[in-house]
Amino acid sequence: MRGSLQSSTLLASAALPVLPAKPAAGQHEPQLWLALRLPDLALDALASSLEGPVVVAEPLRGHIRVVAMNGEARRAGIEPGAKLTTALALERSLQVLDRSPAAERAALESLAIWAQRLTPRTSLEFPDSLLLEIFGSLKLFGGLASIRASIADELQARRMAFSVCAAPTALGALWLVRGGGEDALTIDQLVARLSVLPLRVTGWPETAQALLEESGVRTVGDCLRLPRDGLARRTSEHCLRDLDKATGLGFDPRASFRAPRHWQTTTELPEEVSELALLADALERTLEGLVAELRQRQSQVLRMQLAFVHVHRPPTIETIEWVAPVHERERLLNLLLDRLERIALPAPVIALRMTAGPLEAMSLEESSLFEKRSTTTSAQVLLDRLQGRLGAARVFGVKALAEYRPECAWVRGSSLGVERCTAPLPSWIPGRPLWMLPAPLPLDSTAAHRYYEGSVQLQSGPERIESGWWDGADVSRDYYTATSAGGQRLWIYRDRLDHVWCLHGLFG
Amino acid sequence: MKIEELNLRVWRGKDFRSAAGIATGFAALDDRLPGRGWPRGALTEILVDRYGIGELSLLMPALARLTRNDIDQARKWVAWISPPMIPYAPALQQYGVAIEHVLMIQPPADVKNRLWAVEQVVRSGTSSAVLAWLSAASQVALRRLQLAAEEQGCWVVLFRPVATRKERSPAALRIRLQREGCSVRLEILKCRGGQPGVIDMTAGFPSSDEALCRTDWRQRDTESESLG
Repeated sequence: MRGSLQSSTLLASAALPVLPAKPAAGQHEPQLWLALRLPDLALDALASSLEGPVVVAEPLRGHIRVVAMNGEARRAGIEPGAKLTTALALERSLQVLDRSPAAERAALESLAIWAQRLTPRTSLEFPDSLLLEIFGSLKLFGGLASIRASIADELQARRMAFSVCAAPTALGALWLVRGGGEDALTIDQLVARLSVLPLRVTGWPETAQALLEESGVRTVGDCLRLPRDGLARRTSEHCLRDLDKATGLGFDPRASFRAPRHWQTTTELPEEVSELALLADALERTLEGLVAELRQRQSQVLRMQLAFVHVHRPPTIETIEWVAPVHERERLLNLLLDRLERIALPAPVIALRMTAGPLEAMSLEESSLFEKRSTTTSAQVLLDRLQGRLGAARVFGVKALAEYRPECAWVRGSSLGVERCTAPLPSWIPGRPLWMLPAPLPLDSTAAHRYYEGSVQLQSGPERIESGWWDGADVSRDYYTATSAGGQRLWIYRDRLDHVWCLHGLFG
Repeated sequence: MKIEELNLRVWRGKDFRSAAGIATGFAALDDRLPGRGWPRGALTEILVDRYGIGELSLLMPALARLTRNDIDQARKWVAWISPPMIPYAPALQQYGVAIEHVLMIQPPADVKNRLWAVEQVVRSGTSSAVLAWLSAASQVALRRLQLAAEEQGCWVVLFRPVATRKERSPAALRIRLQREGCSVRLEILKCRGGQPGVIDMTAGFPSSDEALCRTDWRQRDTESESLG
């Protein structure tokens, strides 16, 4: 009976005050969701290396209770939900860990980042599951079995317990994996498999579950057989919508997981370290993690913050910036080591905290077919090194702008050698000086006399430059070339408003 | 052994064969330099007592040629290290320099950082020319630079005060630029494979384009008048 029931016939026969949503998008665009559940996440996220019986405990309903345990603890007879005192009575040598939602979340996110190599449509289902839409990936990875195999390999490498189920709807897959069911590849199969599962797989509020169970509704199948309006009235519309989503009748849009844009890690040192060589080692080890992460996410990074944690002091924080985004280990390491050599650490270091980011998508360099790649890299390495030691603002390119005001006709260019410059000044413009003063100086001031010697004689001019009324920095000047007694050729102007003579440049 | 045979065995400075240099753009100067141009892969020292007397104009034809023709992906830059003022981009363009290949580096004022920056740039092999303004530099430091320049085939130009002319220097070419009124005098103090001497550069030096500028300007005036 259960197996042959189809939700569509049920719905067709029901009088529908609560209308079912339109058929799922999945009917046009086939979907296959893989639900990945980590039943022992609370334990696996904390410590997989501990020997002996271990439990994870947290305060729950007035007692500290066991939420997860390893095999040895389980063999000692400890069950989930047991009071910690009971557990300790059963096993004297029990090691107890506090539950850490942050660690669980981090473990889940790390797995989600890994899973994005299988499909971009990955979403987190807290507290302990991941949902992957893999229909589009089936062909590429050689079918469901091989995707499952690669997931199994990864989770074994991470030493995490897991279970996986595939179904055409996201919620359906999730319920199946919670109920320990098998894969369902069609909607009919899914409805059949879901029908036998107990209500707890739905994760509905306890009150709703209790209410349904009191009226003899014990499985999902029982729920599906209820009249829709009655179910909605007795529990909540939320439950009805969940049923629609699970059986493919309702839309179930899910936000794809986006990996955090910053990457952070902390490397604890075994003891306080002040030796440079040891710090460099630690730095290199820390960097391995980042490089692996960048490789996996096909990303690169532009800046990073390095915090040297001391024992009784605030950490020493260094910010390191690259000229262009990097992903290669060598370039990252070179600049870091260079910076490390020059840093003054006030005290020994106990830990290194590296925060890199924002990570950005890797952009491949344009290169011609026969060009040697190493050469552009050596230019990059040079820029990194210069900027690392001197500061980013001290290394720059120049750009000319189409602008008559001399001081506005050039800017510092940040992307070196990348952009082509605008056209040069029109050919009828008289020669500009090769040396420009940072700002015009009154001709008879001491500051100006530092640039030239002796008296000044006008040579040619004037060239009137009158521009810029629209941005508040308007100039109205008559420019002349002049020679100084010292043989220099000067570019001077007379301001037409206050009639002050100023030195603006030298024809070098 | 005859005296002629002995003569053949004596090494003479003028026999020094140097590779083709970078044409300076000034025929009078080219004629005096062994490679008929600025020496590649060596230091060139230009001694000036003040800036703005034409020390940049002297280099402009060569820099324009370097940035226009000699650029490849490997040596894409002409680096300027600690220039005393702002090298003005529109003027560089007027001289024909492709300014996308200009790399400006402003290290802090101390000699150590400047020398470090110069050496890094030269050694990286990414620049076809390096211009650096150094007042004091030890012989050891200059020697290191000279070796790095040789290794990388980089044209390194150092602008130094005239006071340093008595110091020994490993540079392949040392010249002093002087200007009095309209005349421009170039004194070759040391030239590997060439002869010291004085060149009058007044003819052909950009300053004598002055009249040209002025006529251009007037021309435009008359043009606009006729348009009006």
